[in-house]
Amino acid sequence: MEAPEDTKENILKNGDDTEQQKQMDKNTLAAVLQFLQKNNLKETAALLKKEADVKEKDIQHNEASNNQDVSSVLSAYNNESDPTFYHEHYNNLMQFIEDSLDVQKSELSQMLYPVFVHMYLELVYNDHENQAKHFFDEYSKEQEEYHQEDLTKLSVVTKKDHMTKNELMVCFRTSKYVIRLSRDSYQSLRRYLKDKQNSTVLTILEDHLYVDVFDGMPRNKEQISAKAGGMVGEARRDANKSKVYFGLLKEPDINLQLDDEEESGEGDDKPKKKKPKKDSLSSKKNKPDPNAPPNTRVPLPELKDSDKLARAIALRESLKRIRLAADSLPSICFYSFLNAYDGLISTDISDDSSMMACGFADSCVRVWSVTPKKLRNMKAAKQLDAIDKEAEDVLERIMDERTASEYKTMLGHSGPVYSTCFSPDKSFVLSSSEDGTVRLWSTYTYTNLVCYKGHNYPVWDSCFGPYGHYFASAGADRMARLWATEYHQPLRLFSGHFSDVDSVRFHPNSNYVVTGSSDRTIRLWDVTDGKCVRILTGHKGSILSLAFSPDGHYLASAGTDNKVLLWEMRHGYLLGELKGHTDSVYSVSFSRDGNILASGGADYSVKLWDAQKVFKDSSFDDLAGAQPSVISGTDELLLGSYPTKTTSVHHVHFTRRNLLLAAGPYTATS
Amino acid sequence: MSNKEKARATITSESIKTIAESLGVSQIPEEATKIIAEDVSFRLKQIVQDAAKFMTHGRRKKLSVSDIDAALRVKNVEPLYGFTAQESIPFRFASGGGRELHFVEEKEIDLQELISTPLQKIPLGVSIKSHWLCIEGVQPAIPENPPPVGKDQQKNEITKNIHNRKPLEEETGGKPNKLGLTGKSLASDVIKLKPVVTHELSVEQQLYYKEITESCVGSSENRRSEALQSLATDPGLYQMLPRFSAFISEGVKVNVVQNNLALLIYLMRMVKAVMDNTSLYLEKYLHELVPAVLTCIVSKQLCQRPEADNHWALRDFGSRLMASICKKFSTTTNNIQSRITKTFDSSLNNPKAPISTLYGAVSGLCETGPEVVRTIVIPKMPSLSERVQMSVEGTMVTSVDKVSAEHLKNLILKHCGPIIKHLRDQPDIVDSYERDYGYLGTSLCEYVTRLRTQPNAQPPPPASTGKPSLSFTTPKQTTIIASSPRTPTSYMPTTPTLLSTTSHHPASIHRTFSLPGSASQTKMLLLSSTPKSTAPTITPPKPMVSPTTPTQNFVKVYNNPHMTPQRPATSKPQFIVMSSTPPTSSQTSPLATSSAATSMLMSLAQAATMQVETKDIKEEPME
Repeated sequence: MEAPEDTKENILKNGDDTEQQKQMDKNTLAAVLQFLQKNNLKETAALLKKEADVKEKDIQHNEASNNQDVSSVLSAYNNESDPTFYHEHYNNLMQFIEDSLDVQKSELSQMLYPVFVHMYLELVYNDHENQAKHFFDEYSKEQEEYHQEDLTKLSVVTKKDHMTKNELMVCFRTSKYVIRLSRDSYQSLRRYLKDKQNSTVLTILEDHLYVDVFDGMPRNKEQISAKAGGMVGEARRDANKSKVYFGLLKEPDINLQLDDEEESGEGDDKPKKKKPKKDSLSSKKNKPDPNAPPNTRVPLPELKDSDKLARAIALRESLKRIRLAADSLPSICFYSFLNAYDGLISTDISDDSSMMACGFADSCVRVWSVTPKKLRNMKAAKQLDAIDKEAEDVLERIMDERTASEYKTMLGHSGPVYSTCFSPDKSFVLSSSEDGTVRLWSTYTYTNLVCYKGHNYPVWDSCFGPYGHYFASAGADRMARLWATEYHQPLRLFSGHFSDVDSVRFHPNSNYVVTGSSDRTIRLWDVTDGKCVRILTGHKGSILSLAFSPDGHYLASAGTDNKVLLWEMRHGYLLGELKGHTDSVYSVSFSRDGNILASGGADYSVKLWDAQKVFKDSSFDDLAGAQPSVISGTDELLLGSYPTKTTSVHHVHFTRRNLLLAAGPYTATS
Repeated sequence: MSNKEKARATITSESIKTIAESLGVSQIPEEATKIIAEDVSFRLKQIVQDAAKFMTHGRRKKLSVSDIDAALRVKNVEPLYGFTAQESIPFRFASGGGRELHFVEEKEIDLQELISTPLQKIPLGVSIKSHWLCIEGVQPAIPENPPPVGKDQQKNEITKNIHNRKPLEEETGGKPNKLGLTGKSLASDVIKLKPVVTHELSVEQQLYYKEITESCVGSSENRRSEALQSLATDPGLYQMLPRFSAFISEGVKVNVVQNNLALLIYLMRMVKAVMDNTSLYLEKYLHELVPAVLTCIVSKQLCQRPEADNHWALRDFGSRLMASICKKFSTTTNNIQSRITKTFDSSLNNPKAPISTLYGAVSGLCETGPEVVRTIVIPKMPSLSERVQMSVEGTMVTSVDKVSAEHLKNLILKHCGPIIKHLRDQPDIVDSYERDYGYLGTSLCEYVTRLRTQPNAQPPPPASTGKPSLSFTTPKQTTIIASSPRTPTSYMPTTPTLLSTTSHHPASIHRTFSLPGSASQTKMLLLSSTPKSTAPTITPPKPMVSPTTPTQNFVKVYNNPHMTPQRPATSKPQFIVMSSTPPTSSQTSPLATSSAATSMLMSLAQAATMQVETKDIKEEPME
């Protein structure tokens, strides 16, 4: 786990962005100036201005965006028009859409929701409380099902004072709602708005909406609804243009591995097998993947001997795995937690499937051994001194037999533990909690090693990178953070989501981090520069679980909208929509060969899906051009559904040999 | 739009006023309360919205107090300590003086009591249990997994016709999942045939069936309780249910004739076990089970020696079973409850009914509930009294009658006493009791007086039975012997010779029957009692055993799917066992007898199974 000294510096250097730097300077200056002005230090302010050559306009601009005062920010909503116009204009818009050409109808109806929201907010802002309520009651029913959750939140806002603190408000305030329209539709919309003097809608369109116009055929209803659902509309087209290196890293030193393989014969029964890497087939290692990033793009820790050994063991194990397909389904072993009393929140199973780490609502983290081998602590330092370090079984000797037990409890957090994660070599456990901290635990001593403080709000998810060393966390502060285990400060902040970031996962090549949020978008972030390289919309609820396919080409996501979506990483296209769950989906996982997807959730069932079929049907050749059609037939994709007795499924995990492990707490029904 | 109303739910200004008053602020202007109410509503909604986030991430479906605390902490507000309701907070409603209030009831806690009471048990620690949810794509039918065919699905299978069934079959057809039953690929050209899959048992299922039935009626109590436990808990029994049902039904028919009390008790325990199994849809088989249970309640004679054997326990047990059947399955369409009540009532009205039948009827009625006791049993009290009196004081009474009368009297006291206590006003005058209830009035009066003097404690009831429905309502699946002292097992000690009775009974006859139609010439061994005792066994309310001649045994299987206990003549009876051989009496050891009985039951059940299949085939052209 020793990384090169300059890891952090490297990243920082790579991440340097001159423009960003400038902007930051300006902001700092503006802040200082503001402070001076507030305290009536005019001369100093004037001097500073002169010296730094700051234009008045910049400061003004800055003030506007920084100031917490509602009036300045929301002044855009200031509108003197008669409140009764809103009804009329909204009705007119609906009428226009109704009368428009059939091909354009579904495209144009995307307008209704944002216009409705902004009209409502304008009414509220201008103190027309009763009209606003009336307007809301009349038209909120007309909105799509997937907007209802937001509308419930919006309905709380009935007064100008309320507007500052509402989460949804912040969203609509800080960004423009993105709508994608074909050129034809857009032009007919403009024409209509001009002709009919529908000024209210026109103002909204100009001030609050971002219309992404594209040439070509208008999209149909299915296409639109597949991508709809984001809190601030769809992703802009240009958001998904940048190149993503989604291939796997080149495996180093095949020869060495072969040597190791013989060696590992004797070392087989050593207690701590290590494995810092997801397995990959040996054939792939020979030819470099054209989509793979350079191995040095992100500095990775050098492999130690033990890591190489562990990798060899993993490789050998993977050779024994069963190939899964639609006609050869895996076996599922289910671990039920008894007497958990609603307390079990998170579960993770180590990569070699020997240990299970669980986070509980009562703040503790427990690690179980799921093999007959019991968990042991390392001996105390004094006793360790006495051990012959050259001995063959030194790893065995350092463990204290007297501490052997089925499970170990680790105390340290002061709030519910929302996520747990094993490091790839399973020597560490990561946990994140409601108390705003992420903690690193050792599985040698079962004690807390580091407490990472950065998020000030609950941390919903945390996850180790595939090569260890790095980990990511995401929380209620709407940010995801990248950390390295040896620094107590985050290396990167990924900020851009409009609501809580609920889930985070690493790409198998460790160059990217994917996050899922309550704003119902998925974002892919580049680790090197912290930029958002993909925005994926289409979920209609919070995204609770993410999983990359082992080859890194595809992503599966699932959440409270009961659906599992399959994405492709090159263009960010939605490939498949797997419907079948009847409640929130808590966990998704690809089989080790990437053919089968397993999902489990609150509807007390584990489901297996034919992922290979989705990928095959939309092969890469087709993807060169337009967005492929979304495959969503439940019948042909659902391979099996396995209900449990009132045990919700919190985690699904494929072992190296493709046995599916699932875990969840049993809830007794009275 | 109720949904919208929910979204618009607000704190009213009246509430604010009340809260203000409780805080000592009495004069608060209307305007201010309105503003405060609106602001409070807004803030509460915000907090609840935030709290919902914590609920989602805590992977719960229910908002808890801790979620609210967490939401407050995020907003940098000190959480409200002290609210730790595990369940939803129980609001109470109160009104008065033109005001309506919802409030949380807070009981005063006596600290002294709190300190002196022993500590509560520590809740069990978290543990992990693993099982196979699925093996290579097939879900095994083990207790850890939910039943392969849900109750709803079982119901659908009955109620829906074949066309609706087809897709269902296809769905499960590809994935064989019933106890290793290999998938039956249905050829497309036999769509019109009703698939026979449901009635075909795999080898494992046949073995299981054999094992279970043998254990249930065998001599080993340990094996029996294991078998019953399995019947009560295993989720995959649905396919074997018709067999079990037929086994029970046929078993009762035969053993009533044999007066084999022990076997009847075992069979009733099987009924109970099957009823306890939550994965089974029993409605389909009530027409077999209800008459069987009914027989065990009201039959004139259930044992070889009525004066010594405790057949009362079986009647009580059956009554409780019947009561729980009524409770569980009675609907407005099948009217089980009222039909059963009528059956019992008619037995009560029958002046020739023996005391034991009366006992069963009264017991059955009393278990159904106090309302039934009040409307049906108590008005019959004078006639009942007369019967008791006749049996106790009349001339020509046998000791059996005396014992029976005593039992009936105690039963009536136990069940009717508490009801009468509520029915009648205070001064309990013996004369008026005697006027109203006849002979039993004296004892009733005495009993009620005792009840009144001990308001809390139930006076020791004359009979040894306790509260009626207790043994059925316990959801815990424990072995029956261990948990419920009220099941007939507890009466075993009183009849230690149950199994051996047949051995020294001179009338036990073994007869060998052969099925006329079966090619294999299965031999059946039947036990029968003497003609003398068989003939009077058939009492009018008994639903299904038709009068048998001493030399012939008919076993009827009715085709009607609904329970028609009183009108067996409407359906066409089919005779399975018809041959009779001259009686050859022999003495056998108790063990041999019991195993003989087992094999007899087995073969009977097999015959019934065949019957079920023929029935299905016969239905085919109709559908």
